[in-house]
Amino acid sequence: MRVLVVEDERKTASFVRKALQAESFAVDVVANGADALTAAASTPFDAIVLDIMLPGRDGLSVLRQLRERKNSTPVLLLSARGEVNERVEGLNAGADDYLPKPFELAELVARVRALTRRGGENKSIVLSVADLKLDTVTHKARRNGTEIELTAREYRLLEFLMRSAGRLCGRMMILEKVWDYDFDPGTNLVDVYVRRLREKIDADFEPKLLHTVRGSGYVLKETP
Amino acid sequence: MTIRRRLTLWYAGILILSLLVMGIGTYQEISEQLRHSHRKEPSQHALDETGEMIFQVGLPAVVLGLLGGWWLTRRALAPVSKLTDTVEKIHEKNLGEKIPRTNNGDELDRLTEVFNGMTARLDNSFQRVREFTLHASHELKTPLTVLCGETETALQNESLSPADRERLLSQLDEMRRLSKIVDGLTLLAKADAGQIALKPEPLRLDELVRDNFADAQILAEPHGIKVELEICEEISVRGDRHRLRQLLLNLADNAIKYNQPQGRVTMGLRRVDNFAEFKIANNGAGIPAEILPRVFGRFFRGDPAHENIIEGCGLGLSIAQWIVSAHNGTIQIESAPAEITIVTVRLPLDKIASKPV
Repeated sequence: MRVLVVEDERKTASFVRKALQAESFAVDVVANGADALTAAASTPFDAIVLDIMLPGRDGLSVLRQLRERKNSTPVLLLSARGEVNERVEGLNAGADDYLPKPFELAELVARVRALTRRGGENKSIVLSVADLKLDTVTHKARRNGTEIELTAREYRLLEFLMRSAGRLCGRMMILEKVWDYDFDPGTNLVDVYVRRLREKIDADFEPKLLHTVRGSGYVLKETP
Repeated sequence: MTIRRRLTLWYAGILILSLLVMGIGTYQEISEQLRHSHRKEPSQHALDETGEMIFQVGLPAVVLGLLGGWWLTRRALAPVSKLTDTVEKIHEKNLGEKIPRTNNGDELDRLTEVFNGMTARLDNSFQRVREFTLHASHELKTPLTVLCGETETALQNESLSPADRERLLSQLDEMRRLSKIVDGLTLLAKADAGQIALKPEPLRLDELVRDNFADAQILAEPHGIKVELEICEEISVRGDRHRLRQLLLNLADNAIKYNQPQGRVTMGLRRVDNFAEFKIANNGAGIPAEILPRVFGRFFRGDPAHENIIEGCGLGLSIAQWIVSAHNGTIQIESAPAEITIVTVRLPLDKIASKPV
């Protein structure tokens, strides 16, 4: 997997590169829009991390140019402005995801990973991780044959975690997908819900499936 | 007493006095002439007639003079009243607007000019404060991103001692807190500068409230706080879905955070006149009356002793207030310390949806 990082702030570019490399991505870094377009034209990337605030040509215009050239590489926009309108503007311009600065590195990595796996997401009707099964039609969950009662929100949370099984899900990502919040509510809503969900799916069973990655988010998988 | 009334009274006084002098003068002159022409004592009758005559002419003259004076002062001071009305409409948001000048070069025109100059200077400094906040919050984001990122990178290191890991994690927590403050600050600075456009759409407010109620119950559970939804009437408003959800969650979160363990939070949505009224009450420690008017202020914290216990950026209620006023609504808070604190939000109903079918 090869990722292009377009970021003019040297230090940010450096740790983004390190973090992605640690997840075994090959990473190319460029510092301006023109170089980004050249790089994207010559190399097929699996994802592009694009900062909006760039010297000269800004990220949004780079993105539009990319899409005009029929380049459909998934793009994650980064922005220090972080406002709702900009997010909508970015998605309309053809971005696949948007992350406001300051972001959490784990969140960024999780999103890049989700982008590169797009289409490869688990689309089956009955999702399963170990002996936990979730029927996406009847909204019923079972573990080891025991039926588990879920509220509507818990169901959506579990469905999201199961569809991204094995991958880290950051708090902001969960808030976006499960709650459809485009703002950071500044509460520990996600943590409280995860705790409840864990009581339902993990408390009476082994092995534990829902793991906390401290400071980053949650992951649903068989082995810790 | 207004200047107009005062001037009219003075004017009336002067008028009456001059008429009196004139009357007495005329009376004496006439009685002198009468004495000359008759060469004997003037008849009392003739003198009485003279007095009556002066009175009959004098009185209408006084009335006319008064009316004239009243009209004159009114005319002279009309531009002042107009100026007052205009100045009254000036507030922090429309400082840029100018008061129209008469351009006739009089004192009041000059006053208007000076006044316009003053508001322009004020507008300028308000603008600079807003820009400063916006730039400051913006400039903080890049170093914060770097700090967070490098700390997270450092945490990847497997050979970290548990103590070091703990220290880094605690630093990361503080950085995140700082990020939230910066986010809130950016939002408010942008709202002040009018740079945030809401996306209003017809909304079922009761659905948002029910949704929020479900989340509030979960948030309250670890504290043993009971959340109740007393009433939730079906109400439509025109609003920005995300911002209204943010508002409701924000208020619910506050009601839980500032409550006591095993406390109670009650919320309700009902229609009152042409408004959707959302009330949320908690029976926490409450807010003393003297600081109640300041709770919507930025970075205001009621109880310094609470500061470390309660997480938050200190901007929650300011943001709530902005969201409500951006929806042309009102937000009020009332509190009886140690008993109950109630926040009331009123939003205008959606005119189209609320029409009877």
